[in-house]
Amino acid sequence: MAWEHILTEIFLWFGLYSIVAISLNIEYGYAGIPNFGRALAVLMGAIAVGGITNRLLIAMFGISGNFAVASGIVKTEVNEIISSDPYFGIGLIILSIVIAGILGYITGAIFILPSAKLSEDYLAITLLAISEVTFMVSYYNPDIIGGYYGVSTPDVLAFVPGVYRVYIFTLIILFTLVVTYLFAEKLLNTPYGRILRAMRENESVVKSYGRDIMVLRVKTVAIGSAIASISGALYSMYTANVIASSFSRVEWTFYPFLMILLGGLGNNRGVLSGVFAFVVAKVMLTTYKYEIKSTLHLPFEAVWLEYVLFGIVAILILYYKPEGLIKEKPIITKPIRTRMK
Amino acid sequence: MAVIEGAVIYSNLIVLLAMGLTLTYITTSVPNFAQGSFAVFGSYIALTFLRFFNLHPYQSIPLGFIFGGLLGILTYVAILKPLIKKGATIVALMIATLAWDLILLGFLGAYSDYLTYSTGKPAKKYIFTYLDFHIYNISAILIVSTLVILLTLIGLFFLLYKTKFGIALRASMENPDLAEIMGINVEHTRLFSWFLSGALSGMAGCLLPFKQEIVPATGAIIIVSIFAASIVGGLSSIVGALLGGYIVGLSESLVTYALSLIFGTGILVYSKVVSLIILVITLLLIPKGLVSVKWRKVIKWRGSIS
Repeated sequence: MAWEHILTEIFLWFGLYSIVAISLNIEYGYAGIPNFGRALAVLMGAIAVGGITNRLLIAMFGISGNFAVASGIVKTEVNEIISSDPYFGIGLIILSIVIAGILGYITGAIFILPSAKLSEDYLAITLLAISEVTFMVSYYNPDIIGGYYGVSTPDVLAFVPGVYRVYIFTLIILFTLVVTYLFAEKLLNTPYGRILRAMRENESVVKSYGRDIMVLRVKTVAIGSAIASISGALYSMYTANVIASSFSRVEWTFYPFLMILLGGLGNNRGVLSGVFAFVVAKVMLTTYKYEIKSTLHLPFEAVWLEYVLFGIVAILILYYKPEGLIKEKPIITKPIRTRMK
Repeated sequence: MAVIEGAVIYSNLIVLLAMGLTLTYITTSVPNFAQGSFAVFGSYIALTFLRFFNLHPYQSIPLGFIFGGLLGILTYVAILKPLIKKGATIVALMIATLAWDLILLGFLGAYSDYLTYSTGKPAKKYIFTYLDFHIYNISAILIVSTLVILLTLIGLFFLLYKTKFGIALRASMENPDLAEIMGINVEHTRLFSWFLSGALSGMAGCLLPFKQEIVPATGAIIIVSIFAASIVGGLSSIVGALLGGYIVGLSESLVTYALSLIFGTGILVYSKVVSLIILVITLLLIPKGLVSVKWRKVIKWRGSIS
């Protein structure tokens, strides 16, 4: 496979996964909330694109008939409009991202509610259970995002010639990543960010200063989910075909955890390096899966090997390098800096 | 009738798995996210002996017990013990079991490919229902799964209440530090609980293909029911797992069936939603589970109302 193709693939996935990893880092790295249901927020992004924006378009164009057929018709119509009028496509991207953000924010706030007061283990179990069940429902129920068959969505970049589409999309994703990164850095360097770290280290202390742990948790997961949801929306617009099965727990909960563990919890620069290392390994494994299978004479698919490898890597990191590639640095605010001098 | 029968069989299996989860949670205080894959491992043990040695899955229950137990020990010794020794946090341990779940999924998937390739028979998606038979008009799986539960309960009772090791085990479950001071080797009890947890899941796994289709990723689907069962009963009580298993298992099958009579069969895919709702209600009302409820107080309170 051509090297520029591999390179684009790496940058595309680096962008998508970095957004999710930053969102998880806000929740787990900074606030210490083990969100084992990250995949849910990403799935919400897909629902925003395939379920909500699509329905809006169907209503706008007044197309009747069942959802799957109507979205097929809408796709061709909208693609034609976008190819002559780029602003429509760009507007659609912005609209989808906004809807995804709002949907993610609301879902995040609701899905942590039952367990927001509980200890970490109960929290993790509940979040995982909710995420897994929602995944199953949206896979089996054809009325949300098309169930097993998925649903096709308009190509928001229909005005760009086919060869350049993937490059432009990668740029859009990387731009979103830059915005997300700056937002996260800004957010976490405020008193709010510091109270999150304090909560991670010792909840009782935060409580004794009159802060409500539950409110903090709900707020943090809502923000994190909104960000992760945007990544899901971007991915869905890129593939222009939404299917629930591509939002599995392994891909969008476990891998992001692996990436932030690898990079270093509680610091966004580290997380980016972790994502990069992971994505390079993953893209290589996916690209050369047939070569791997035939050279090693594996009597099975290479994807299983990928699971085993990444699982082992996660455990090795936990054992040998729990602080990750780049260690979290103490926060040096202005008053502290003047004292240190 | 067939519906109730199916519900009881399913509940029996969920009880076994939930008891396994609870046992290790009590001794190691980490919820094992790989419990579902433990069961699927048992299913593949049964499939292997069926394909290569033509052993009926019922005959491979003891094998499921032993191999499952070994898997449990491996999980503890290879993954968790080193991390605990290093002073890893609970979240780190949970991530480790999640990673272990993925590793197991990888191995099971690879093995299923190999099995399909070497036997030429389906192994990536299989079911045992065609192997079942009837004893006096009652399906054998109902009798077998109930027998397995009864034997497990009797065995556990004797072990925990009639042997010296059982006293040590209970002591180290109640208060590990105090037990250690009294000269009990907590390490042994942990090891044993992981063996038992794997063994119970292995047995459940041998029987699971009689109830539902098995694919390598089945573990990810049943883990929701297992967690719901354990939490509803109370995550740190074996009796709770028994109670919770029947509540979740029965309502998952029966409530969905009742709803399907009203709304049509389309509702059947929502069976896990029922478990999830029970789980959420429990967390909101009694987060420590049913066993934490002081029933006497409830009765008194109700009496004072009327």
